[in-house]
Amino acid sequence: MSAELVTVTVDDRTVQVPAGTGLVETAQAAGIEIPVFCYEPRLGPPVGACRMCLVEIEGMPKLQAGCTLTAQDGMVVRTAATSEKAARGQESTLEFILVNHPLDCPVCDKGGECPLQDLTFRYGPGTTRMRFSKLTVEKPIPLSPLVALDRERCILCYRCTRFSEDVAADGQLIARNRGAHTEIATFEDEPYRSPFSGNVIELCPVGALTSTLYRFDARPWDIQSVPTVCAGCAVGCNVSATIRENKVKRILSRNHPEIDRGWLCDKGRFTYPSLRAPDRVTTPLRRGPKGLEEVSWDEALDTAEELLRSSAGAIVTALSGSETTEIAFALAKLLRQGLAAHSAVLPEATSNALDAFRAPLSAIAEAEIVVVVGDDPVVERAPIVDLWITQARRNGAAVITCSPMGDVRVPPGAATELCRTLAAPGNELGERLRRAERAILVWSGPGGGGGARLAELAHELGLDERPGSGAFHLPATPNGRGVAAAWSAAADADETNPEPIGLLVVSGDEAAADPSVRALAERAERVLVSTMFQGLATGWADLVLPGTGALEREGTMVNLEGRVQRLRRAALPPCPDELAWISKLAARFGVDVSPHAAAVYAEAASHLYRDLDLEEIGLRAQLPGRAPYEAPPAATTPAPEGPLAPSDERFVGELRLVRAHALFTGPAVERVDELRFQRPPAEVELSPADAERRGIATGDPVQVRSNGTSVALRARVNRRLIEGVARVPDEHAGDLHAAVEVIKA
Amino acid sequence: MPERPELVFARTDGGAVTDLEEYVARGGFVALAKARAMEPDAVIAELEASGLRGRGGAFFPTGRKWAFVPKPDRLAKPHYLVVNADESEPGTFKDREIMLRVPFRFLEGCLIGAHAIAAKHVFVYIRGEYEREFEVLRSALEQMHARGDLLGDVTIVLHRGAGAYICGEETALLESLEGKRGQPRTKPPFPAIAGLYAAPTAVNNVESITTVTVVFELGAEEYAKVGVEGSTGTRVFSLSGNVVRPGNYELPHGITLRELIYDVGGGVPNGRSLKAVIPGGSSTPVLTADDIDTPLDFDSLVRAGSSIGSAGVIVIDDRCCMVQLGIRVSQFYEHESCGKCTPCRVGTRWLTQILQKIEDGRADQSDLDLLLSVCDRILGTCLCPLGDSDAIAVASYVARFRDEFQEHVHLGRCPFEGASSLEGILAPSALHGAHGHEHEAVPA
Repeated sequence: MSAELVTVTVDDRTVQVPAGTGLVETAQAAGIEIPVFCYEPRLGPPVGACRMCLVEIEGMPKLQAGCTLTAQDGMVVRTAATSEKAARGQESTLEFILVNHPLDCPVCDKGGECPLQDLTFRYGPGTTRMRFSKLTVEKPIPLSPLVALDRERCILCYRCTRFSEDVAADGQLIARNRGAHTEIATFEDEPYRSPFSGNVIELCPVGALTSTLYRFDARPWDIQSVPTVCAGCAVGCNVSATIRENKVKRILSRNHPEIDRGWLCDKGRFTYPSLRAPDRVTTPLRRGPKGLEEVSWDEALDTAEELLRSSAGAIVTALSGSETTEIAFALAKLLRQGLAAHSAVLPEATSNALDAFRAPLSAIAEAEIVVVVGDDPVVERAPIVDLWITQARRNGAAVITCSPMGDVRVPPGAATELCRTLAAPGNELGERLRRAERAILVWSGPGGGGGARLAELAHELGLDERPGSGAFHLPATPNGRGVAAAWSAAADADETNPEPIGLLVVSGDEAAADPSVRALAERAERVLVSTMFQGLATGWADLVLPGTGALEREGTMVNLEGRVQRLRRAALPPCPDELAWISKLAARFGVDVSPHAAAVYAEAASHLYRDLDLEEIGLRAQLPGRAPYEAPPAATTPAPEGPLAPSDERFVGELRLVRAHALFTGPAVERVDELRFQRPPAEVELSPADAERRGIATGDPVQVRSNGTSVALRARVNRRLIEGVARVPDEHAGDLHAAVEVIKA
Repeated sequence: MPERPELVFARTDGGAVTDLEEYVARGGFVALAKARAMEPDAVIAELEASGLRGRGGAFFPTGRKWAFVPKPDRLAKPHYLVVNADESEPGTFKDREIMLRVPFRFLEGCLIGAHAIAAKHVFVYIRGEYEREFEVLRSALEQMHARGDLLGDVTIVLHRGAGAYICGEETALLESLEGKRGQPRTKPPFPAIAGLYAAPTAVNNVESITTVTVVFELGAEEYAKVGVEGSTGTRVFSLSGNVVRPGNYELPHGITLRELIYDVGGGVPNGRSLKAVIPGGSSTPVLTADDIDTPLDFDSLVRAGSSIGSAGVIVIDDRCCMVQLGIRVSQFYEHESCGKCTPCRVGTRWLTQILQKIEDGRADQSDLDLLLSVCDRILGTCLCPLGDSDAIAVASYVARFRDEFQEHVHLGRCPFEGASSLEGILAPSALHGAHGHEHEAVPA
C-alpha cells in the first residue's frame, strides 16, 4: 500500500513526499535541515520536548515543533533559513538549553562530535545573557560500571528514558523531580543493568551519558572509524570501530536497518578491551619442562608440522563458531586436503531447510504473531532479536514464548515435541499461525537440528508461501553455519573417527573453552590450540599458536538470517594472524592456501556462495532470496537436547538441570572487568513449588548436587519457571549432571 | 446588587445537597432522563444551542468538543469521558465548592456526557488535596450505586491526583491517569481521537459538566437567555485577595468587575484603594483599577487585554509591590513546571531569578529588557500553556506597571521598602509543599 504523494513547500523549495511523512524527513527530502535533539523516530512517536525544531507553518499563528507534524498537501514551511521568527525560536531554544549547560566542551568526550555544539554554531546565540549561577549537581554519577551520567550537561531530551521505556522495555531509566530540577536517574538508584545499556550513550545528543571505557581516551579528530561486523553472536550487527593508534577504543553502531536498526547489545559494544587482556597470547608457546614457554615462529611451525605428520590419520579438529569462514576453510584445506584429517567437532550449525523461510530480522517488527520455542530466553542468544520482538509486541503483535519460563510452559528439551504438536491439525496456537498473514517462528535454544524441526513446522504451516513470515534459528555461536559449510566444502571425503586421537587441533577460543572439547582432549595424545588467551591453553596444550579477535580480522561470516557479511580489520593483531601460519604450514604439506582473506574467500565462495563477489557484499550486506523448501534430515533418535547426558545414570535426582546459556559469558567477556556486573549470578533458579517443598527462599545458600559432584549457589525462586527444573547458568554449573538435587545449605 | 440567578447551585438554599433522595425530591436526575431520551447527536445539538463553553479556562464550546469524538461505528475503541477535577490554578476554587454542594448535579452531568459520546467509563481526576470533596463524591456515588437505574451501564471512577498543577493540563492528566509521569503530550493527536489509552476521549472541567445538567434542566433556549451573547449562562467566580467578602459567587456572565468586587464582595477592606485585578486565575494578564467597569465575559475581557480564564478574580490593593507579585506567580510556575520542554523548564526559573534581582535592587535597565525578552521567548514556544502562563502574567505586570519596575531599577531598591504586603493574594509556592526537592524559601 503506497501512500499518496503530497506537495510541501519548505523554504520556497517544493518537494513531494508520501502523505504522513514527518516534517523533519520532508525537509530533508528538500535538502533542508530542521535541527533536532529529542526527535528520534526509532524511539517511537515524537515527544516535542526540546523545541529545537521550531518552524513557521503558513496559516498557524504560533511556531510549531516540526518533529511532531506530518506533511500535509499544500503545507508551506519556513525554517530558520527563511523565517526570522523560526530563527529566533531556534535561537531561543538554544539559549534556554545553554542556560544551565556547563559549556565544558574542552574536557567533554562529546566535544567535536556533539549535536549541541554543532547546532549552537549553526543556530545559537554567540553570547550568553545568563548572569546567574548555573545549576550544579554532583557528577559524574556512575549509572553502572559502563555508563557515566553528567547531569549538568544533560539537556533533558528524554532519549535515554524513552529507549529504556519503549525500546528495551526494561523500565530502568526514569526522569525524576520536575521543572529545572528534573533529572535522569535509574529507578531507585539501582545500577543500570540491561543488556542494551550502551545504546543510550550513542543516543545522547550531548556529553551527558558517556562510556566509562572510552571516557577521556580519544578525541574525534584523532580517531579513525572502521566499518565492520560484530562477532559477539549470530545476529551480526553492523558496527563501526573507533581506532586510535591501532587500538580499538570504542564500538558504535552502523545501523543496518534490516538487522540491528542501529542498536547494539553491551556484549558487542563493550567486549573490545579483551583484545588487550593481560594473558593475550602474542607469540607461539610450546610445552616445556616448566610449562608453556615462548618459542620462535620457525620453531613453532616445525613443531606443528611434526605434530601433524606424526599424527597423520589420527587427527581430530575442534572448530569454534566464532572463526571466520575463511579461517575454517583454510584450516580445512590444510587438514583435510593435506592430511586427510576429516574428523571434526563442529559448532552448532543452522539447518539449510530454514532458507525456505528466509526473512530479514526487521520482518519480526511487522509480524502479527511471533512464537518462540526453545529453552533459552532470546536475549541470551541473540539480544537484538529480543528488541525486534519487543517492537513487534509494541506494534500489536501477539508474542508467545514456549519454554520452561515462557507464556506456555514446556519442560526443557521439549521444543521438538512442541513443534510437532503445533503442526498437528486442530492445535489452537498452530491454527492462529496458519491464519496469520505474517507469522514469525523463532527457535531459541539448543537441539532441534539447528532449526530443522522448526523448518518442518514452518513448512507444515505454509510459511514458505507467505513473504511477511519467517522462521529463525538462534545459534549459540556467531558463524557456526559458515564454519561448518567451509569445513565441508574443503574436501569430499567422509569423516572417520580415529581412536585413539593422536592430535587434537583446537581452533579458536570457544572451542578451547568448551568442556566437551576438553573432555575430548583427555583422549588425545597431543593437543594443538590456537587461541587468544593463554588461560585457555594452560595445562592441556602441547603447542599454542596465537589467535586473533574478530576486530583484527578480514573475512566473512554468515549471520542467523543467512546473510554473508564482511569483517574488516579494525586494528592490527599483535602477532601474525591465523591465515598467515595456516598458509605457511599448508605449504609444507603441499597445499596451496593464501594468507590473504580475500583470496581464501574467492576460493571458498565458489563452493559456498555461488561466486558472490566480496565487493558485492558491500558495507550493508543484502539478504539472499528464499530457497525452495528441502526437507531436512529427520530427527535422529532423541537427540540430546542441551547438556550432554550424564555418563553415570545410577544417581537419580529429583530435578532436571538446565544449563542456562547466558549472553554475558565466554572468554572475552570474562576478561573485561566492567562487564562483571552483567555476568550471570551464581544462582540456581527453582519454581515456587519446588522451592517450597525444600523450604528454600530466594537468597538462601544451597547445595546443588548430582552424583559425586556438588556446587554451592544461592537460590532464586522464579515464578515463571516450570516445576521439576533447576536452572543454573552454564558457567556456574560446573560438572553437574543432568539430574540434580537442591538442598538448603 | 446585581441579579444572582443560581443555576449551578440551584435548589440548594445556600447549602449542600449530598443526600440522593433529597436531590431527587428537588428535581434531580430529570435532566438525565431527558437527555437519555434523546439521541446522542441531539444532546450535542442542544448543548451547542445553549452556547455552553468550557469553564476550565480555554472557553471551548462543550458541544463542539463532544462532536469531535468519533461515533463508535467510526472508531471501534472504547470511548471515555474524563472530568478534570484537578483544580489548581492559583486564585481558583470554584470546582471544589461545586463538588461539595452539588455532587449529584455534577455526577448527573457526567452521565449525560457519557451518553452523548457513547462512553461506558467516566474517570473523575480529582486533585489529591481535595480530601473532603473526594469523600463527598464517593458517598454520592455509593448512593447512586444503591439505585441501579441511575448509572445504567456506565462506570464512574474517582481517581485522586498526587499534587501536580500540570496534571490539570488535559494530556498530562491523561498520562497521569494511565499511571505515567504527568507530562503533557504533543497535539495532535487530540484527545478526542487518541486520548486515554489512545482511545477517543472527551476531557471536561467540573463546572462545565455540572452546567451540562443545568442546560438540560432549563432547556438550551432558557439557558442561553442568561448571560451575554458569546458568553451565555452563569459563572461561578472565585473572588479572592484584598476584598471584604471573598468566596465563590455564581453570577451571570457580563456583570462588571465593579459589581463583583464592590456590590457582591464588599469592596477593598480597611479603606485601601484598588490597585489591580487579575480576572481569570493567576495565568491571565493583570488589569488596573481603571479597568474596573470591564464586564466579566469572554469578549469584553479580550478587548481589555486579558482573559476570563478560570474566573478566579484576584483583587489587589495598593500595598502590593508588583515585582513581588511577579516573583510569587513566577515561583509558582517554576515550581510546577513539569520539566518536559525546554523554554518552560528553564525560562520560568530564569524569570524568577531576574525578578528577584530587580526586587533586590541589583538590576539595571538591561535586566528589565532581558525580563521581557525571556517572556517573549517563552511565549508560544512551549509544549503546553504552563510556560506561557508565567510569561503572560509577568509581561502584563511590566506592561501595566512599568513605572514601578523602572523605579526598582532607578532607586536600586524596592520602593515599598518592606511596606509591601501580598497578604491574601495567592499563596506563596512554598506553601504548596515541596515535591521531590528542597525549594528555596520564599521571601515574605
